[in-house]
Amino acid sequence: MIAVPIAVLWFGGFVLAVLDGTRKPAAWLSVAVLTSAILSTMALGITVYQDGPMSLAVGGWSLGVGITLRVDMLSIVFALLSQGVLLAALIYEVVNGVGARIYPAVVLFMGLGLTGLVFTGDAFNFYVFFEISMISAYVLVSYGESPRQFRAAFVFITVNLLGSVFFLIGISAIYHTTGFLDMYRIRDQMPLVQENPAILSATIIFVAFSIKLGLFPFHFWLPAVYTGTRPSVAAILSGALANIGTYGLIRFGADIFPRELRQAAPVLIALGTASIIYGAIQALSRHATNEVLAYSAIGQVGYILIALGIGGPAGYAAAVLYTVLNSTNKALLFLSGSLRGWLAGAAFAIGAFSVAGVPPASGFLGKMALFQVGIAEDRPMLVALIFLGGALSFVYMFQLYRRRTAEIEAHGSSPWGAQVVVVMLALVILGIGVWPDPLLNLVERAALSLPEAQVP
Amino acid sequence: MPALNPQKHAGMLQSGARIILLPSWVIAIAIMLKGYADVGDGFSAGVIAALGVLLQGLAFGTDELEQITLSRIAPILSFVGLGLALLTAFVPILFGENLFTHWPGINEHAVHFGVLEFITPVVFDIGVFLIVYGFCVGGLHAIAREEVRQVRLRDRGRYLRSTTRGGSLADESGEVRL
Amino acid sequence: MILATSLAIAAMFAAGAYLMLKRDLIRLIAGMILIGNAANLFIMASGLRRGAAPILPLDEPTADPLVQAMVLTAIVISFATAALALALVYRVYISHYSVDLSRLSAAEEQQAERDEPMTEDLRESVRDDTDGEASPDGRHAREAAIR
Repeated sequence: MIAVPIAVLWFGGFVLAVLDGTRKPAAWLSVAVLTSAILSTMALGITVYQDGPMSLAVGGWSLGVGITLRVDMLSIVFALLSQGVLLAALIYEVVNGVGARIYPAVVLFMGLGLTGLVFTGDAFNFYVFFEISMISAYVLVSYGESPRQFRAAFVFITVNLLGSVFFLIGISAIYHTTGFLDMYRIRDQMPLVQENPAILSATIIFVAFSIKLGLFPFHFWLPAVYTGTRPSVAAILSGALANIGTYGLIRFGADIFPRELRQAAPVLIALGTASIIYGAIQALSRHATNEVLAYSAIGQVGYILIALGIGGPAGYAAAVLYTVLNSTNKALLFLSGSLRGWLAGAAFAIGAFSVAGVPPASGFLGKMALFQVGIAEDRPMLVALIFLGGALSFVYMFQLYRRRTAEIEAHGSSPWGAQVVVVMLALVILGIGVWPDPLLNLVERAALSLPEAQVP
Repeated sequence: MPALNPQKHAGMLQSGARIILLPSWVIAIAIMLKGYADVGDGFSAGVIAALGVLLQGLAFGTDELEQITLSRIAPILSFVGLGLALLTAFVPILFGENLFTHWPGINEHAVHFGVLEFITPVVFDIGVFLIVYGFCVGGLHAIAREEVRQVRLRDRGRYLRSTTRGGSLADESGEVRL
Repeated sequence: MILATSLAIAAMFAAGAYLMLKRDLIRLIAGMILIGNAANLFIMASGLRRGAAPILPLDEPTADPLVQAMVLTAIVISFATAALALALVYRVYISHYSVDLSRLSAAEEQQAERDEPMTEDLRESVRDDTDGEASPDGRHAREAAIR
């Protein structure tokens, strides 16, 4: 049951790698494969929601010997989020006409990597799936093959390869200090490990995921890459691939290194603050749509880091909620940002207002959750900061929106198919904003699946 | 990279490459099969087999690689390998078994043929062997073939090209980024 | 043994980091490969134990098999990444006859100038420019307009 989404994506990717993805039937086949993966993940999610986490040791070995796959609500939320964003980007590209024959296969392989890494319960297996999605991303970034894309690809590969190496070093450090690779066992063993090695491994892993996320001191690669790639690729990178960073921080931070996470809370909050302010100020000073969005992405992950730093069930729930909203917003903005026409303009406006935190678009939910956490924890400075960040994001998103509407009046319209795709995505975001209860419930359950959140 | 001008290369390399082709495959298959009772696996076997074939390209030029069937079909082999490996991993699910379950199971009797054991992990390892072999040979061959094609094209029309394409890149304006 | 391994890791990492700062793409990739292998050596160091191959029945002390499995996987992954990166370099070489990043930037700027009237960045900067704001993009735009 657990392996079904992975199997669907893997076989789908394999078949599509042989077919020519630029032809319509093959491209729609990839959409069908991704849709069926989402459906099977949903079915799995319903089971997990009702019966609690599931685990499976590969090959029928006993738990602890074989590699384990483990699924809880946190995994399900992240898997559905990544697959959903990939589906939107894939349909967008298919409707627009796929430019490279391997594009659909690579998107499926990336879906496989992202699904696999949230489903695995083994630290090294996490790295393997992580690399599957990274290698797909390397291919995707060079998609388009102009000098711009090539340079973006080199920046991306160099920086992210360093990130992967850091992660690998972190994992082998964990293995050396605890003697296990299974995450549950590492978690049980971690309190016995001396403080210094534990802090060192936690820091290395934090740096690795921060590079993927593009947090403030590690952000330097992000604007060059997001502005250099095609819109659907930028949407995939910011909406799906960046989830690796958030999931990794939550899983490794709250699950494996809870003690170190609490010790590092002031640092996390400081870094998050720096990220928010830096991203917002840079976004204010930029003009190109993609550049504003890239810096906005740097700012938005700051909120996630702050929520993690606050911790506790409410903090983790806020972090997960913020990730879901941020990924869908960024996907919508990158996709609709390159289109012309009033439908796409409306979709872009919804995305922009969502990032700015204006109801009824869904973005205000995340800010609300953070406000509540800040007030409950009695941290007035944080509340002020979130308010300031929200105000700044409102200003830069409004500037962007004003510029875009001026443009839309002046120019023709893009193909209807692509516009319909972004409008559907915008409707999802509006729908979440209007009727947030199911998502809030899911996110709460996801946060509760972390052991640290269960202890009051 | 593979030789563009095979005549320049010593006969030693060429005869050595010819002699080594078959033994490299024998050793590769031996390493793959003995992996069930001793040290060895499909990955290292694939690398050894690929090195044996690529040596032919190095000694005789890329055109020689086209002649060798095993190198021509390398991309297909890697896909076959991936399919085999995936099937052994995921087919057990269809029978209600666990992922990667192998037949016969742990501590069960397996059919022996000499030291060979017939168990499904062997199929998986053959898949890995084919992927590695296909990837090494197919990838390097594709790049080498393209390289040779480009060089030949350039040699043929060098003076035509130099005025248009090379010229436009020559002036280095603009600041350096990254 | 630990000292020797850590010195080797340090040397490889340093050499890799040095190469990664180069503008030449081939050196960049060589640096990436070196750093990747330094990480592999680090994994080996995390389970450094002498012994026989761990195959049943276990009679004598065995080496840690998990570390070797991890290193093998990591080697395959860095192999794939390096192959991909080299293929990219090759595409760059075919289209620009150079493997220098500064050349690539120059080509990118030229193409940007060629395309610029079509792209949105420029339209915005042109408009902002007329508003009286001076931005780097705006300067390019003006240059392009003069031409």
